[in-house]
Amino acid sequence: MSPSDAVLRDPGTPRITIDRPADYLHAEHTLRSWFFTTDHKRIALLYLASITGFFVLGAVAAGLIRLSLLVPNGQIFTNDTYNKLFTMHGVIMIWFFLIPSIPATFGNFLIPLMIGAKDLAFPKLNLLSWYIFMGGSLFAVVVLIVGGVDTGWTFYAPFSTTYSNTYVIPALLGVIVVGFSSILTGLNFVVTIHKMRCPGMTWFRMPIFVWTHYAVSLIFLLGTPVITMALILLVMERAFHIGVFDPRLGGDPVLFEHLFWFYSHPAVYIMVLPGMGVITELVAAFSQKRVFGYKFVAYASIGLASITFLVWGHHMFVNGQSQLASTVFSFLSFAVAVPSAVKVYNWTATIHKGAIRLDTPMLYAMGYIGLFVLGGLTGLFLATLAVDAHLHDTYFVVAHFHYIMVGGTMLAFLGGLHYWWPKFTGRMYPEAWGRVGAFLIFIGFNVTFFPQFILGYLGMPRRYHEYPPEFQLLNVLSSAGSTILAVGYLFPMVYLIWSLWFGKRAPANPWQAKGLEWTTTSPPPPHNFLRTPVVDYEPYDYAIKAREVG
Amino acid sequence: MADAAGSVAEPVGLELAEQFSSKDQQREAATLGMWAWLLTELLLFAGLFLCALVLRILYPASVTLATTHLKFWIGATNTAVLICSSFTMSGAIVTSRLGFRRLMLGCMLATAGLGSIFLLLKGFEYYQDYNEHMMPFLNMPYLLEKDTSSRLFVDVYYVTTGLHGLHLITGVSILLWLTWQASQPRFLEFHQNRIEVYGLYWHFIDLIWIIVFPVLYVLNR
Amino acid sequence: MTGPGNHTDYPLLLWPAAASHAATHVDYLISAFTAVTLLLTVPIFIAITYFALVYRAGRKVERGHTSDRNVKIEMSWMLIPFFLTLGFFAWGAQIFDTAKHPPGNAMTIQGIGRQWMWKFEHPGGQAEINDLHVPTGQAIVINMISQDVIHSLYLPAFRVQMETLPGRYTQVWFQADRPGTYRMYCSEYCGTDHSVMNGQIYVMTPGDYEHWLNSAGSSISLAGGGKRLFASYGCTGCHGAASTVRAPSLAGLFGRPVPLASGGTLVTDKNYVRDKILNPDHNLIAGYKQVMPSFNGVIPEDEMIQLMAYIETMQEVQP
Ligand code: HEA
Ligand code: HEA
Ligand code: HEC
Ligand code: CUA
Ligand SMILES: [Cu+2]
Repeated sequence: MSPSDAVLRDPGTPRITIDRPADYLHAEHTLRSWFFTTDHKRIALLYLASITGFFVLGAVAAGLIRLSLLVPNGQIFTNDTYNKLFTMHGVIMIWFFLIPSIPATFGNFLIPLMIGAKDLAFPKLNLLSWYIFMGGSLFAVVVLIVGGVDTGWTFYAPFSTTYSNTYVIPALLGVIVVGFSSILTGLNFVVTIHKMRCPGMTWFRMPIFVWTHYAVSLIFLLGTPVITMALILLVMERAFHIGVFDPRLGGDPVLFEHLFWFYSHPAVYIMVLPGMGVITELVAAFSQKRVFGYKFVAYASIGLASITFLVWGHHMFVNGQSQLASTVFSFLSFAVAVPSAVKVYNWTATIHKGAIRLDTPMLYAMGYIGLFVLGGLTGLFLATLAVDAHLHDTYFVVAHFHYIMVGGTMLAFLGGLHYWWPKFTGRMYPEAWGRVGAFLIFIGFNVTFFPQFILGYLGMPRRYHEYPPEFQLLNVLSSAGSTILAVGYLFPMVYLIWSLWFGKRAPANPWQAKGLEWTTTSPPPPHNFLRTPVVDYEPYDYAIKAREVG
Repeated sequence: MADAAGSVAEPVGLELAEQFSSKDQQREAATLGMWAWLLTELLLFAGLFLCALVLRILYPASVTLATTHLKFWIGATNTAVLICSSFTMSGAIVTSRLGFRRLMLGCMLATAGLGSIFLLLKGFEYYQDYNEHMMPFLNMPYLLEKDTSSRLFVDVYYVTTGLHGLHLITGVSILLWLTWQASQPRFLEFHQNRIEVYGLYWHFIDLIWIIVFPVLYVLNR
Repeated sequence: MTGPGNHTDYPLLLWPAAASHAATHVDYLISAFTAVTLLLTVPIFIAITYFALVYRAGRKVERGHTSDRNVKIEMSWMLIPFFLTLGFFAWGAQIFDTAKHPPGNAMTIQGIGRQWMWKFEHPGGQAEINDLHVPTGQAIVINMISQDVIHSLYLPAFRVQMETLPGRYTQVWFQADRPGTYRMYCSEYCGTDHSVMNGQIYVMTPGDYEHWLNSAGSSISLAGGGKRLFASYGCTGCHGAASTVRAPSLAGLFGRPVPLASGGTLVTDKNYVRDKILNPDHNLIAGYKQVMPSFNGVIPEDEMIQLMAYIETMQEVQP
């Protein structure tokens, strides 16, 4: 018997049968009611569907990359095709999948629920963000697939402005447009968190999930305009030869690297912070225990969001940046590890002496902690000047960021998806299948990406279609791992869709978790709560509490 | 209503949107939202100001040369025009609070008018630049061909003023649309807040120009 | 196994060949860092697994808590790992510092990156493409520039790489101490054939290198070629001793402070001189009327290298 079964029969779960208004899914059924909805929960599901689509496209590109790398001499595709593939993979995965993934879906759905609001502050703006997102991303994706772009996701000048013969401008325009959608989402979250909290919901009663989203929204607001400007300048230079980056037009290519990383390093925290928020919720719920050091974890989120603006130069150690600047950036990158360490150790302490249930979301959470730690510490390797002079632009970097982004954020995303699936859809997912899927993904992931650390240290550069034959063995291993990973991903995709029709009905609070989102029905009514909640207790008010000492 | 001066005060208020629990909450949320948006806009322009300043430090001679070819007096007139428009916009806000709808509509139209004058002058300035061959990105000879670094500054000038112009065009369009809305009966009773929030945006466009003008036209001229 | 000499059978490689003392040093650093990393992480992994098993819901174990937070513990697990790893920051910065400062007696090889090949020129004028021959026991600086996009010269056997930028010189240096054949790559993505913009670096004993230099042959040294170009581009017309145009003498140019018309001074280096030749209107020099024409788009990068080599020798020739 799985623990969730026990929960289902738990007599304590409130069941409202009489006078129950239609939930948000069944309130209306027309297509119009979806595409013109202003309900944050429906918009979240629109995002969920779109980013899942983009993930599949990006993953197919990854599959083709791994297929091609089975052989060293690049017989399967032409060099240009390969270059277009990894650009498509990187651009889609970063800009159209990972950046919006957790904020735009879970954040959208859960922030109002968690702070006891009826909706976000600006529901129409929220819908507009989705349309802007879809407009920009669909346009760019069509360009990436039909025409192809070969600059890599980093768009370095002067290659992107002068030398590439592919459709760089349309792809850039797509990314710029999507940036505006991020800004609007961030704006909506900031205002909502400031102004829409229900009575009694003080700042320090907010779940960590909301804190991390607050931090992320700040990065959206402060970072995105800079990348927008940098990309606009790229477009200008490519279209009108306005010289900013190309030295032949009087510009400076290193300037673009600065502008790009000034945003794109904080962007990695856009990708990781929401995941940390999810993991904190999961760890607390499945340990049935208050988060250890709640305030530290909350401050750590804001701390990360601030220091993150000061370390962009660690991507540029070997491009002629002054030695002093490099040393300072290296030092600050070590400092950025501190708030991350706080989170990891506090999760561990939360598990200590909890009442732990190893349901699928918890398995993902534990996988997350392991892989994030590995990814983060290899980040510190890269932040070490002398080591980066060797490992820059090698597969070691590729392994580093896949450990954090796939091993970290992607697992957090899947864990959160399972955890809140009952709330989203009113259905339970099949637990046994869930656990098998989680194991497959964990194993497949490590087989795929661990060999890439070794490849990188051996000196295999990234973005290499043809590589020296002595690296083949490890590459084959990595490709083999990616097939396991692919099967692993298929699991949730299939059974989650299956559960929409055949899953068990979910009770309001299947995990006996604390948090306002679990006090309303699954799925919630259109305005979230039948009565505006009033909070007079601390967050994570679980049964296992500290004995009051001193 | 028929009163010519429009001095009959109308009820002023706000229609509560369903996601809010009080009108104060709604008002504060709208204002905070606009401030957040303006913050990101400021950062958008900040990148360009930074570029311009860096160029001034790197190539002072070339930049000075290029600035002498900018139309200082058009820029200065435009600054004055925008400052006036900020006054008329403030007028619109004050009158809207008092419920003087006619007067408010007049102020709004005046603001839009001043904004359009700015755009016309700017267009004329571009036209003169074109005649003087000060458009290096076009396929035609460039006046300061010999001075490669002046080109960078001139490019930044076009990107900055172009982006600002784009904001102004959007601003005037929204303003006209808002004026049309406000001319409908009972607008102030339900939507006075919109005038306030829009006013923030207009002042912001104005503020950006007040930074653009010294950074591009005036410094070590 | 050192490098790709034998292309028939490839065992599972786990550690790259190291061809310099500095490379071995980096290896020590990374091994020590890995050990500390394990020290910091293995306890987490063990603890999580252990807690998850021991404290499973339903098991009867003691779950009494003393506190939900403990500032002392939290500060210590924040700061101890930080200070531990800070040692590696310092160690890495120190090696990096050495890597930024070549010794004075280093030999300079000129490099040019372009889509999609490397070209190297030895001081004696010997040029080679996608191959690089260097002697052991001698510090070697590679002074590079790109003719088009950004490339990056990556020599894993020395654990170093450096981007080659268009419009600006960058340097990388190493001192090989183990003869052999090693890989050389372009590691910064640069377009279609990025992945084949690579070659081999042949580390030879000084004797072999001398031998190779002779067999590679070269009619004229870099500086010699530069002297010819200096005349053929008309530089002598203004900068020559017999010139009537008032132009600064280029003798002893490198490392000399130059007073600028805009105030302040500038110490000359390769990037400055290159910029002066291509954009003479930049950094106007105090006391001269700027009449020098721009050679932008006229002098290709390899000729620029020769000119530069010649201007460098002018220090000794003239008083
Ligand atoms: C979600 C995304 C994400 C995240 C969170 C991070 C986090 C970090 N990254 Fe990473 N990084 C990327 C995504 C990410 N990175 C990407 C995509 C690239 C490549 C871009 C490209 O070129 O295409 C990249 C590249 C990259 C480079 C450049 C490599 C190169 O190209 O040469 C560097 C160098 O410093 C770096 C460092 C770091 C560091 C120090 C962290 C730190 O924040 C990590 C902090 C976490 C921990 C340290 C682990 C947990 C802590 C403990 C277990 C406690 C004990 C430890 C201590 C206190 C020391 N990253
Ligand atoms: C969210 C971000 C994200 C995610 C989820 C992934 C997921 C994966 N990535 Fe990703 N990757 C990036 C972000 C991401 N990546 C970025 C930013 C880059 C840098 C791009 C650049 O350089 O510009 C990159 C680059 C990159 C490279 C380096 C390419 C190069 O430098 O030449 C590789 C190589 O192995 C790779 C592999 C994978 C794999 C195997 C997965 C797996 O997780 C995906 C697994 C899924 C499948 C495999 C399903 C598809 C299945 C099929 C299509 C059937 C056929 C399959 C096989 C034959 C195996 N990625
Ligand atoms: C028409 C005359 C003329 C010609 C031809 C000319 N120069 Fe010059 N050069 C000058 C003058 C005048 C200056 C000083 C300009 C200034 O104020 O910066 C100068 C400055 C320089 C400087 C900077 C010297 C310093 O002291 O900092 C260098 C280097 C230089 N020239 C190299 C060259 C080279 C190489 C060529 C040929 C390819 C060349 N010049 C051709 C007139 C000339
Ligand atoms: Cu040259 Cu990559
Ligand atoms: Cu970074």
